[in-house]
Amino acid sequence: MNSRSGIVIGALVFAAAVCLPLLSRSLPAIAGPYPLAVARDIFVYLALAVSWDMLFRSGQVSFGIAGFFGLGIYGAALSSLRFGFPAWLSILAAGAFAALVAALFGLVILRLRAIYFSITTLALAEIFRIIFHNGGDFTGGAEGLIMPSLISNSDSALYWVALSAVAAAVLASSWFERSKIRFALTAIRNNELQAKSSGIGIFKYLMIAFVVSSFIQGVAGGVQLQIYGAASPDDSFDTNFTLLPLAMALLGGVHSTAGPAIGAVILGIVSETLKLKIPYGHLVVYGIIIVVVILFMPNGLYGLWRGRTARRADAGRGGERRHHGGPQEPGPGTVGAEEARRG
Amino acid sequence: MQMKRKTIVPTTSSTRALVAGSAGLVVAIAIFLWKPTVLVYGLQRAGLYAAIAIPMALVLGIVHIVNLSHGEFMMVAAYLTYFAAKLLGLDPLVAMVPVSIVMSVFGFAVYRLTIRRALRAPELNQLILTFGLGIALSQSINLLFTSQSWNLSLDYVTSSATVGNYSFGTYDFVFVVAAIVFAGGLRLFLTRTRMGKAALAVGQNPRGAAIVGIDVDRAYAFVFSLSVGLIGLMGALFLTKQAIFPTVGGPYTMKSFCLVAMAGVGNITGVLWGSLALGLAEVAMTNVRALRDWSSIVFFVIIIATILVRAIRERKA
Repeated sequence: MNSRSGIVIGALVFAAAVCLPLLSRSLPAIAGPYPLAVARDIFVYLALAVSWDMLFRSGQVSFGIAGFFGLGIYGAALSSLRFGFPAWLSILAAGAFAALVAALFGLVILRLRAIYFSITTLALAEIFRIIFHNGGDFTGGAEGLIMPSLISNSDSALYWVALSAVAAAVLASSWFERSKIRFALTAIRNNELQAKSSGIGIFKYLMIAFVVSSFIQGVAGGVQLQIYGAASPDDSFDTNFTLLPLAMALLGGVHSTAGPAIGAVILGIVSETLKLKIPYGHLVVYGIIIVVVILFMPNGLYGLWRGRTARRADAGRGGERRHHGGPQEPGPGTVGAEEARRG
Repeated sequence: MQMKRKTIVPTTSSTRALVAGSAGLVVAIAIFLWKPTVLVYGLQRAGLYAAIAIPMALVLGIVHIVNLSHGEFMMVAAYLTYFAAKLLGLDPLVAMVPVSIVMSVFGFAVYRLTIRRALRAPELNQLILTFGLGIALSQSINLLFTSQSWNLSLDYVTSSATVGNYSFGTYDFVFVVAAIVFAGGLRLFLTRTRMGKAALAVGQNPRGAAIVGIDVDRAYAFVFSLSVGLIGLMGALFLTKQAIFPTVGGPYTMKSFCLVAMAGVGNITGVLWGSLALGLAEVAMTNVRALRDWSSIVFFVIIIATILVRAIRERKA
């Protein structure tokens, strides 16, 4: 997909999504209250999946999505309950809070690499949870906080709120894809030493990616608060908010905006269906998807499709620039392109 | 910060060990004067942590994989033991042997089907792969047996002893014994047996080992199955004392990783010392009223601190 058709498709999908609630009277099966409720859950996960991928493009795996998401939920709840922020401002405050915390911790933890970075982010998420759990009256302790009033009770208004968070995430992600940030992050991922010697400010770009992705996760948390109306340490920092976006991004195809978005929509619908049928353990699907995707299609669904269209384009040109490795031929932006750790 | 291949036989420098040892002794005496039971319970908890972490250290030291599904393997073993106890009437301490064998076969299957395919993949892929394996394991158990927590009530686990004015539970020393047996046994295995020596060589340099005729893949498979077998033993022991539920293993994956990271890749003695520090710190915190709620944070703070200290030290080196 070249960049212009990408923009066109993205704009069309977005316009359709905006119009969807307007059809709720005529098409209750796809635009009634229940589908809209499912859709806004998917939007929250979509924003998380895209934001996780934005940092992953630099080769850093964050297991702390739930941490910054939870900070967002609490940031929004506390700013409106304790400081009287209006709802829309509390969502921005949630993002700002998560971004600020990310910037502070980032000063230190962005110097870590690979497993050490991942485990640290996982540990940070737990630390956040314990702090809010033990925060006494200010944070509501183990019971958490309940919001007396929300931005709106109408399904379509909440839907639009969630949709705007998605729009912010997608715009930020495509800004990453279309600006020089993309080259910096790809260079860092492929070979950090080489990137450094080419004059790329490694720390600066990692910090941008970390802060922006945490901001989006915080905003998603702020939206989540408006949807569910409560913040509690166990629900807000639930590991599922790390697990699901990660599986979504991997299934859809990492290192792109479209991949995680496609993955979020597919898995969101699948999990909603499974949740009704299998109350316990429907998440096993996510575990299996992660394993299968990592082993057999590291570029995800979007990567498969991209590989196929690339081959077709080559065939059209008389096959002079045919790829040799099939759909998994690693381009500059794929997992497989990274050099193997052991030689 | 790349993980360096190091020998799995401990190589701590003697002076550092002396300083750390004397500092540890001072702390131990202080705790003993303050509350002797803290020392006992801290030691018992340290045994549990160490015995669970040692198999992970083994896999990391030789196969060079961080197994993020480590705790979940233990959870599966605990469930197997539970059913062996309920359906066949076996005592968990008897059932641990067949469970361990079943688990090592399972570990072998997991190695052949998944881990082996990712050995040449980037480290990140391995990380996400084992993370996904862990989720698949815990959620399969959740699917089969729901999230309800189960436990066995065994009368021998409540045995206690009284020394002077203090009485304390003695059963948990079984974890300390397990940790020491694991550490000692692995050391003997790696230095005295043919397979162990081969595994050690593979851990130090897989290519070199292959050149001198060692079957690297077989060594990896063996070590991974051995590790899962050991964690199978621990699953049975764990069940004797604690309630089990599908996500019970997760925190132990984290704790094991923390200890392994603290000790440095392949350093099993270091895992023992790290567990001691972590166990004592946690138990000491729970014994101070003002700090009780915060005792669960200790471990996470320690893990971040160790990782940062390691990062700084490696940068200097």
